[in-house]
This record gives sequence, C-alpha cells and structure tokens, in this order.
Amino acid sequence: MNIFESIFIALDAVRVQKLRSALTLLSVGIGVFAIIASTSIMGTLQQAVNGQLADLGENSLLIQRTPTIQFGTNWSKMRRRKNITYDQAKQFRERMTTTKLITISNTSPGYTIKAGQESTNPTVSLIGIDDLYFTINVTSISDGRPIVESEVLLSQNVAIIGQDIVNTVFAGVSSVGRTITIRNQEFTVVGVLEAKGGVIGESQDNRVLIPITVFNKYYTSPWDASVDISVKAESKFQLESTQDEAIGIMRSLRGVKPWDENNFELDRNDALTGQFSGFSTALLAVAWISGLGALFAAGIGIMNMMLVSVRERTREIGVRKALGARKAWIVRQFLIESITLCQLGGLTGMVGGVTSSWALTAVMRSIAMPNLVFVMPWGTVIFSITICTVIGLVFGLYPAWRAANLDPIEALRYE
Amino acid sequence: MAQNIIEIANLVKRYEMGNEEVFALRDVTLRLGKNEYVAIMGPSGSGKSTLMNMLGCLDTPTSGTYMFNGENVSEMNDNDLASIRNREIGFVFQTFNLLPRASALQNVELPLVYAGLNSQQRGLRAIEALTKVGLADRMDHRPNELSGGQRQRVAIARALVTAPSIILADEPTGNLDTKTGQDIMQLFGDIWRGGNTVILVTHEEEVARHAHRIIRLRDGLIESDELNTNATAV
Repeated sequence: MNIFESIFIALDAVRVQKLRSALTLLSVGIGVFAIIASTSIMGTLQQAVNGQLADLGENSLLIQRTPTIQFGTNWSKMRRRKNITYDQAKQFRERMTTTKLITISNTSPGYTIKAGQESTNPTVSLIGIDDLYFTINVTSISDGRPIVESEVLLSQNVAIIGQDIVNTVFAGVSSVGRTITIRNQEFTVVGVLEAKGGVIGESQDNRVLIPITVFNKYYTSPWDASVDISVKAESKFQLESTQDEAIGIMRSLRGVKPWDENNFELDRNDALTGQFSGFSTALLAVAWISGLGALFAAGIGIMNMMLVSVRERTREIGVRKALGARKAWIVRQFLIESITLCQLGGLTGMVGGVTSSWALTAVMRSIAMPNLVFVMPWGTVIFSITICTVIGLVFGLYPAWRAANLDPIEALRYE
Repeated sequence: MAQNIIEIANLVKRYEMGNEEVFALRDVTLRLGKNEYVAIMGPSGSGKSTLMNMLGCLDTPTSGTYMFNGENVSEMNDNDLASIRNREIGFVFQTFNLLPRASALQNVELPLVYAGLNSQQRGLRAIEALTKVGLADRMDHRPNELSGGQRQRVAIARALVTAPSIILADEPTGNLDTKTGQDIMQLFGDIWRGGNTVILVTHEEEVARHAHRIIRLRDGLIESDELNTNATAV
C-alpha cells in the first residue's frame, strides 16, 4: 500500500499545483525528449548507412538517385530527380568498359515474412538483387547458394534469407528448400545469409534477398522504383578512371546537359560513412549535453517542489512521526514522490521523443530517403527511465532528509 | 495500584533561549499505573505541554529518568522513540490531525503500516477500532466529509488500533462544541472501562473532572497530585 500511497500523493501534488508541476515536469520532459529524439533519429539514419554502404566492398562506388543520408541538401531538388530505372541500369552495365563488376539492386523496407503459422514483424527489408550481388558486396552466404543468372532472367521466385528470419519463422533450423510467403507470393529458400549481428533494432540479419526482376514485378511502388547500382573497380588504381567513366555514362543515359550538375548520386563507401559519423557524433553530443543540462535544471526544480511540499506538509510529517514512522519511512515516502514526479515528466518526454522521431522518419522516407526504417531506441528509453530515477533520488534526497529530521513536536505545532 | 506503566524520577527539561536558560520542567517525579484515568492540568507555561511530550516519547529529558514498562526512554534515539510511540502510545490531538487525503479507514490503518502489518490484518483491526468508536458506517469517508465529533472519533480509533499501553489525549475537546465534547468524554470513559490507561492533558476543569486522578503543574513542578473521588466518568 505504501508505495502506491506515495505515488498517489505525488500525483495529487501535481494536480493541486498544476502550473508549478507543469513547468517542472516540462523541463524533465524536454531533457528526455532531446536525448530520445536525437538518439532515435541518429539510430535510424545510422541503420540506413550501415544497411546500404557497409556491404559495399573496397574500391566500390554506389550510384543512387538520391543520397542515402541527406543533410544540408535541397530536398525538393532531390525529389524532382528522375528514377534510375532497371533498364537504364542495364544499359549502364552494357556500356561500362573499365569494369564488368556491376550489380543492380533495390531495397524496400517493412515486409512481413510468413512460413506456415509463423510470421515476422513487418520490419523486414526486401532487397532485389542480381547474380553479381555477392561478388561485389561483402555479404556472404552461410548455407545454400547465391541467386544465379537464369533465376534473374526468368524471374523465378527464389529467396535468400537473413539469420533473423531463420530464427523467427524456422525456429533457427536449416531452411534451404523450404517455402516462405511475402505478400501472397511464395518463394523457395535457396540460401541463408551469414549472420552479421548488430545491436537491438539495428540488425543486419533482418532481410530477404530475391531476384531484382521478381522485385520489380511485385514489390516496387512509384517512390521506390529507383534502383541502386554498385560498381567495383578492377583494382585500387583503376577506381578513379572507373568513377570517371561511370559518371560520364550516367550523365549521357540520363540526358544531363554539359552545364548542369549530376542528377544522380555517386558515392564511395569510405567517404560517406566517415562524413556521416562525424555529423552524427557532433549532433548527438549537442543533443545529449543540452538534454542532460535540461535534466539537471529539472532536478533543481524537482528539489524546489519537494522542499515546498515538505513545508506544506510539515504537520502531516509530525503526525506520521508521532504515530511511529521511523526516519527511513519518511525518507522513502518522499523519495518515491520525487521519483514519481521525474518519471511523469520523463514519460512525457519519451512519448514525445519517440513519436516525433517516428514521424520525422516517415516524412524523410516519403520525401527523399525511401530506405529509412524507424529504429525504436530501446537502449535510450531504458537509459531515460534510469536517469529519471537517479535524478529523483539525487534531488529528492535533501528534501526527504529534511522531512525525516523534522522535530515531531515542532512539526505538530506547525500552522 | 497494581503495576506501574510509567515511572518518572527527577525529570528536568531545560531549553536554551539565546543566552538564557529556561526550565520547562524542574524536578518532576511521577508514577502512573495500569488502567488509571489521569488528568494533567496547569496554566500555560506550567510545563504541562513539555510533560505531555515527554510522556508521549516525543522528546527526551535533559536529566532524570523515564521508564516506560521497564524500558529507559530517557536514553533512546529517534528510531527507538518512534518504535515505542508506535507500540505503546495512542495520541489524540486537539486538532484531530487526520491525513486529509486518506479515508477514515486509511487514517486508522496508518499506525499499523508503521508497525509492519500486512494489509489484511490492518483492515481487520482498523474496522474493529472504528466499530468501537461507532463509525463503522463512515470508514470510507474522508475527514472533510465528517463532522468534528466524527473526526475526533476517527482519531481515537487510530489511537486505539495498536492496543497501546496508554492513550494520551491533548485537549481532546478543545475544538468541539459542548455537546459533542461531552460525547467524546463519554467515549474516553468507555475506553477506560474497557481496561485502557487514559491520560488527559487539559486546562479545563470540566474535562479534568472526568478523571480519577488530577495532577496540577505550576512553574515546572507538580503543585498537587490528588484522587478525584467524585469523578463523573463512572
């Protein structure tokens, strides 16, 4: 009863002192919001970078309609860019001379994979690939075989699945030769990807690879019909010439006038990930420092609120002591109250942070980054709950100590 | 007198007020037995309140000894005092001192919470105590939904619920009208007849005459300590 009683009293204090509580809880909320929102958005972007670029091997280029990660870019300009169609990509492959190591792929997030009674969450990335995918990317197969050229040409329903999917729908046992269903289409599993692991919510194993021709038939929509082209130079020394040739051919295929800038994106793995990680570290640092600052200010606010509460309830404390409450009881009661207050603010910030980063992800996806998948920042949510508890404890301690050490005689006499 | 609950010897309480020393109690020696009905009287400044705080184990003396059921209260720390208050003393205050946000039942349960009883035992004993004071039908009401007399009854139930050795009432009728005050004094009479030890602290002769023994204080000393042969509590 007592812990609930204390929580109830804390909520009651919020109700009685609406404005004062709202301001105090707002600052807790802002702190948590800053931390959660920034971490969540960065996690989402990071996953997109990892998913697309980390696979790209050495001496490789990635050609896309728009960059994977955009910041400081003109989104409306990006949106006006025409898709890189599968036919365009095939012509590009035909015309390249410096290298023939070219693979065409496309990704679409948010699929549910079913097998018998089992099904995954609707978070699986579906990737359309061709037979050179495994030659150029650093991904490899742990069981079964890759997708072969004839399967791409004949649009056959075969699939290579990630370890997460094996675990979810096939209970972790060998699944080569079995059947999965993706949006009413049945696929025969021919291979399993080597597990890459990853932290919660950022798994690299939560994907299914199918022939790009099949992908184009069933799983493209106008906003993600644009394919990606990965090009591997024959050696480190040919990377520059391969890049020059690739740019030239793409410009001519897409009809770019000599005086216009490229209407596609060409990136090297190393450059982009480096750029992104610098940016994300800076942004995270700013968000966390300001978030923790807000939380510290909130702590002071909580302490003030608790001190007022102790003063207003001096007589009640006197009564409790007269009835036999030990110091530890009084301390406990006030600490539970201050932690409850903190959690209340933290919860608000958490809901706000998660919701707004989810919404922002959705907006960015629809505008310019079709491969973004929202990553729920569980680690940060747990961190926020923990830090709210810590703040409630630290800043509630002095008021609680004051309350516990009140002289019962004085407290009973207090008007 | 069968058995002494309280034995006070040469009790002194001195306060420092700036550079001046003020003696609230100079030298008080007192014995209280089981099932006594005592009134402690005196004008303000007589040391009456200080003695009450001592008897209630809310404060410790500067010198002298205070034995409560054989335990030396004068040398206890805060937590031991809290524990003995919880077990041995039922307080009834002039201003009732109920928790405003809690129901009558929750108020009565509070001392049992600090005694460490589980909620089922607490509920049973609190209902029993409320029934004793005639408020079984009001136990879900909050203090602001009760009359003054009913509030004081809740407070008395709270004092009784731990089955303490003494009931210590500080001006229990001070905030009540005459009729309600008489009812409350009637209730104290019933409680005393039920085998409890009752100590009233009051400045009203009208209230004190219910007790069987009247102790008068003046200037920190016991002025008189006599039996009240025509007590009205019988």
